[in-house]
Amino acid sequence: MSVWAAEAAAKLPDWSGAWQLRGRGESRASATNGGPAKVGERNLPPYNPAWQKKFEANAELAKQDRFPDPLSFCGIPVGYPRVLNLPDSYEFVLRPERVWILTENGPNLMRIYTDGRDHPAADLMWPTYTGDSVGHWEGDALVFDTVSIKNDGDTIFDRNGVVFSDKIHVVTRIRMTAPDTLTADVTVIDPGALTEPYKIVRQFRRIEASARVYDYACRENNRNPIDASGKTLTLGTDGRVIDLAK
Amino acid sequence: MLRPLRSITLLLAALSMAYAGTGSAHHSTGMFDQAKTIKLVGTVKQFQWTNPHSWIQLDVTNEAGAKEEWSIEGNSPNQLIRLGWRPGTLKPGDNITLLVKPMRDGAKGGMFVEITLADGTVLKQYDR
Repeated sequence: MSVWAAEAAAKLPDWSGAWQLRGRGESRASATNGGPAKVGERNLPPYNPAWQKKFEANAELAKQDRFPDPLSFCGIPVGYPRVLNLPDSYEFVLRPERVWILTENGPNLMRIYTDGRDHPAADLMWPTYTGDSVGHWEGDALVFDTVSIKNDGDTIFDRNGVVFSDKIHVVTRIRMTAPDTLTADVTVIDPGALTEPYKIVRQFRRIEASARVYDYACRENNRNPIDASGKTLTLGTDGRVIDLAK
Repeated sequence: MLRPLRSITLLLAALSMAYAGTGSAHHSTGMFDQAKTIKLVGTVKQFQWTNPHSWIQLDVTNEAGAKEEWSIEGNSPNQLIRLGWRPGTLKPGDNITLLVKPMRDGAKGGMFVEITLADGTVLKQYDR
């Protein structure tokens, strides 16, 4: 390691260990969860009229338990910023030139370039689940900018119907706000769907140092497939549907 | 000794509230009635320590005296291990009591929220 790299590494904060989303987990990540910049306070995204309609239609499907969640399909990344809204644990790997966010509930991996590079030229980008993230350190805060995120049908923000358009652009600021507490302030800028930026706060608590992070194979024993109508089924050990309601 | 399940016990709403923090499933939990908690007493047929969910296959004797099998799902092993559960926590033949959020449609399935082992040990599905 060069002297520069060693010095730069020494300045990074200590986000070692494993972390867990504080508060309600993914399944309760309601449209109003997160809310504006105050933990515990909730609001809906400031949708424009067309996307408000789309959201309401989704919310109605969610009410009928027929709003399909790509997460349930097993094997597809959840996309950003939903990566910050998962059950199981997280790891944050910091190096001067790059940060990785690893989620135990996979497959999800965020790569954030902090070596001073910018987003690629437009002809070198195409929408992907986690998009392209570049960032920098402001003291002990990691600030990064994410663009080129796959959306509008490919990913959802939560199971209550919140979705964003393919114009989504996310600015995230993560820092330790208390011992063993990481706070992520997430600003969703989406001129396609929103009339103003939507702010979300996520907090993570560091779990005990002895905790290990495990394999998560969603297809190992998935007894909850989704049928063509979007309904989540329950299977018995013989693979037969046990649901009584159609 | 295994107590026969006389009736599915609907516990007080206050108890349900204690488990209001739903688990973090990999799928919608809309099929479970979060407002209800039932008590199931039975014998473990199989314990699946697997992702994305763990499952307890429980043999329960119903009011008519007939044996019926329930499929009760819980959080991933990754989460349960941090709450004191172990892959060997349950073995076939163990007599247990489960508190369960039942399926809305009356199917013999649900999501467990708390378990009492034969020796009285209580394990939960959530840490909050």
